[in-house]
Amino acid sequence: MSDTYPRLVQLLVDNFGFETDEVNPDDTFSALELDSLALVELTLTVQQEFGVKLSDDDLDADSTLGQAVEVIEQKLVAA
Amino acid sequence: MAAARAAVVCGLGTHLPSRVVTNADLAGELDTSDAWIRSRTGIGQRHLAEDGTATSDLAVEAGRRALKSASTDTVDAVIVATTTPDHTCPATAPAVAARTGLGTVPAFDVAAVCTGFLYGLAAGAGLIAAGTAHSVLVVGAETYSSILDPRDRSTRAIFGDGAGAVVLRAGDRDEPGALGPPVLGSDGTGRALIQVPSGGSRHPIRAENAERADPYFRMAGAQVFRHAVERMTEATREAVARAGWTPEEIDVLVAHQANVRIVNAVADQLRLPRSRFPVHLDRVGNTAAASIPLALADAVTAGALRPGHRTALAAFGGGLTWGATTLTWPDVTPV
Repeated sequence: MSDTYPRLVQLLVDNFGFETDEVNPDDTFSALELDSLALVELTLTVQQEFGVKLSDDDLDADSTLGQAVEVIEQKLVAA
Repeated sequence: MAAARAAVVCGLGTHLPSRVVTNADLAGELDTSDAWIRSRTGIGQRHLAEDGTATSDLAVEAGRRALKSASTDTVDAVIVATTTPDHTCPATAPAVAARTGLGTVPAFDVAAVCTGFLYGLAAGAGLIAAGTAHSVLVVGAETYSSILDPRDRSTRAIFGDGAGAVVLRAGDRDEPGALGPPVLGSDGTGRALIQVPSGGSRHPIRAENAERADPYFRMAGAQVFRHAVERMTEATREAVARAGWTPEEIDVLVAHQANVRIVNAVADQLRLPRSRFPVHLDRVGNTAAASIPLALADAVTAGALRPGHRTALAAFGGGLTWGATTLTWPDVTPV
């Protein structure tokens, strides 16, 4: 079982004031009320944490946390 | 071979127009609020020029003060970095030179939007290295209020007017105030992300098309945010390496004051404490080419930036353009 999801949740907890049990893999970024700048901040933090490069096209407000995990893992395999 | 002469910062002056516009003032006429503006940008208020005040008016005052700070009344050249020149033609710098009492010295503008001040410093340092000038006045001055769409809450919340200036003199590479090797870059494929669409030669504003013209400043916020963080981080790393420092050795990094979230993100990317990044935008907004000298003066006055501090400067702006440089902060008192 990959640890990508818990690491992503930890970034949300550390940087955006969420509690671990408030977020679910099916939540979209817009449902979490992350505005467009916060989404960019999160992708920059993900890049730093996971060492993968995310572009503006990889994630948007309608992406779920589960989809974000898939994108990150695909990039990790490709890297 | 003799080493090229270094450019040394020996004076710092600033000027802000007296009119203060708070977030509450903006909320009175636009669909916005103090909480929205603060959470999105970190900005609490900005200074705006009165109607009839042009960029050169602010630049002349900042320039005079920088000369006073440097205890001189002459320089060999004047460079004005601005996005908002008095006129499309001619440049603003000759007017600033004449009105500052500097006579007929060479004077020209630098157009690199929010990176303009760092491009201006590099140009001034180049004049000194080449022996063309022994001293240069470099001014960053803006009246963004003249190009903002009155109905655009995002840009009106962000930008403010103001000016800042430094005096550079020829000196030794090892003395305090000597500018390190500059790192500059541009990517014109991103030119539409920060733009005034009409009013230039691409889309001149004429009587027959005036209704379709867009003479206002436009910015794609989220995309600019990412580029700004990545480019400033990268440029800082390179400038610091060229100075022979590690990022951890930076005592103070004065970043272009675009948005506190951008400044914080650059700190995080460099893995440096946010406390090393002075914040001035809460009181003046984003003053584009003027932001770095204004933030330097504020940090000195607040005691956050002191002689001997290893200092990095970093900026990002329309073009796209970006840059960074380094200096050991000299014993200069801002006026």
